[in-house]
Amino acid sequence: MIAAARLLPDRARRTALLLSAPGLLVLVGLFILPLSLLLGVSVQGEGGFSLAAYQKLFGTPHYRHVIWNSLWLAAVVTLLCFLIGYPASFAIARARGGWRSLMLACLFLPLSASVIVKAFAWTILLRSSGIINQTLLFIGIIDTPVRMIFTETALVIGAVNIFLPFMVLPVFSVVAQLDGRLGEAAATLGANPLETFLKVTLPVTMPGIIAGVALVFALAVSAYVVPTLLIGERFPTLATTIAKSYLLTREEAFGAACGVALLAIAIAVVVISARLTREERA
Amino acid sequence: MTMDAAAHLAVRGVSKRFGATTVLADIDLAMPKGELLTLLGPSGCGKTTLLRLVAGLAEPDTGTIILGGRDITRTPPYRRNVGVVFQSYALFPHLDVAGNVAFGLKLRKRPKAEIDATVGRVLALVHLDHLASRPIRALSGGQQQRVALARALAVEPSVILFDEALSALDRKLREAMQGELRQLLTEIGATAIFVTHDQEEALTMSDRIAVMHRGRIDQLADPRTLYEKPATAFALSFVGQSVRLAGRVTESVGGVSRIETPAGPVLAPKTFSPGYDVIVATRPEHVRLGPGDNTLTGTVTGVVFQGARSTVEIAAGGLKLSAELSGRETPPQPGAAITFGWPLAETLIYPAEGVA
Repeated sequence: MIAAARLLPDRARRTALLLSAPGLLVLVGLFILPLSLLLGVSVQGEGGFSLAAYQKLFGTPHYRHVIWNSLWLAAVVTLLCFLIGYPASFAIARARGGWRSLMLACLFLPLSASVIVKAFAWTILLRSSGIINQTLLFIGIIDTPVRMIFTETALVIGAVNIFLPFMVLPVFSVVAQLDGRLGEAAATLGANPLETFLKVTLPVTMPGIIAGVALVFALAVSAYVVPTLLIGERFPTLATTIAKSYLLTREEAFGAACGVALLAIAIAVVVISARLTREERA
Repeated sequence: MTMDAAAHLAVRGVSKRFGATTVLADIDLAMPKGELLTLLGPSGCGKTTLLRLVAGLAEPDTGTIILGGRDITRTPPYRRNVGVVFQSYALFPHLDVAGNVAFGLKLRKRPKAEIDATVGRVLALVHLDHLASRPIRALSGGQQQRVALARALAVEPSVILFDEALSALDRKLREAMQGELRQLLTEIGATAIFVTHDQEEALTMSDRIAVMHRGRIDQLADPRTLYEKPATAFALSFVGQSVRLAGRVTESVGGVSRIETPAGPVLAPKTFSPGYDVIVATRPEHVRLGPGDNTLTGTVTGVVFQGARSTVEIAAGGLKLSAELSGRETPPQPGAAITFGWPLAETLIYPAEGVA
């Protein structure tokens, strides 16, 4: 019996290793190797090892501003996606039958369209001769077309629109399973609607919120297409700076350093959200 | 109304409709402090709706609800001080056992020392003091049930409501909990309403039982009266076993009616107009082999030995009836033709209309 009991975990461990082998191979081949190369390139100077690229990135006010731009965009987009997506998740979860399907379709169908198509669609809507300006002119609210495209507002609107499903998906999956009796139980114990929300609904749905926030933040901080098409040169981000370094200025080490910085942010997001989720469960 | 005025909880003329369906029709109910009352009925009879109205989780269309002398008809649940133990327990998954029990106390802004003391005391009451820091998902169904009870008790509610709270437990655990819960509630002098479709639970747990049927209270009585003198044919069929015969009244003289049934003529101690369709019944334990005030003949179709007693299944006039014999009597063999009877005083009679 003891021998069998000892065998079992060993066998289980071997099975687990075997099952994770394909995934591990993909991770090593497609992520760890290229990212190690990236790290290598970023510390390559004219005469071998050099931290010049990082000095440039963190030492120049302009590039510190680029990092700030990326973080600011990600933070604002994540916040707005949460403020829109959280109540929307409840609306979808409470809707029944056809309405629910329709709302989910409206949310997830755009995922099948390329981000370039969606970002480009926003440039058409927002440009001076676009439908929004034309409508406002027609109604008489404005006399001359308002500059909308290539502004921070356009960038944020477009990014929120494109990244919203990534907030709603994880939040909705938690909200849909929320037991309505929890709120009733809280009420009978003396919690008014606000207290019920703060002390029950919000903490119980927190795992979904953490997942949604992590996902949208990671996507928004590294967004390339959306800032390129909707705001362009006026608002350089880490992603657009990487592209510029590789495609225009040919500063591969600097581009790689920007990539590493982006990676560090992404890892931080993952680590923090994982830790928060673990605390939530403990 | 004098009783009503002194009542701790009074429900007066309460009705509730959902769309075209009347779920509760003109309900009146009054409970003194410390009473344990059960709303008993099949699913859809309105018992859970009545409970939700008392808890404030739904509002009645008409009528008033008074608790402790205060009209709470339109008071939101969080200002009622009514405890609820839900069927699914509805424990907060993000809090541990103590956190769940302390929930209502923290909302009431009690000092921390007092909260800790109350949580410890209430958890000891339900024998869970050793599990205070366990997460909810690590508890068994029975333990979750106790946490739900402790959480509701901790805030000392004016009345505590149980919505099929024991039905999710397996039979053995449920029966153990019934006795324990009754003792506990009596000890602390709690006023409680149980909602259940389980007649045994109702008989075990309650001082009084309200049998509900189609949105009305058919009978409100103590368990013994309910069993011995059911007020309606529904109350008779829902609580306990019974021998029932449908028939028609042929004559009614001196407070005794004669009823023609498919199994033969039967007498019942109540006046009805001749021609009236009725249900005549008695409890199986009143049926004896051999003639009685009411005597019928039939064929034994089966005998079930149950230790202290035996149940004899009898076919009579196309009906299947059952009688109970004390275990010491020798039961007849299946296939035997027998004569059986029961006393006139133990004969129940109801109008046949509206019987499900």
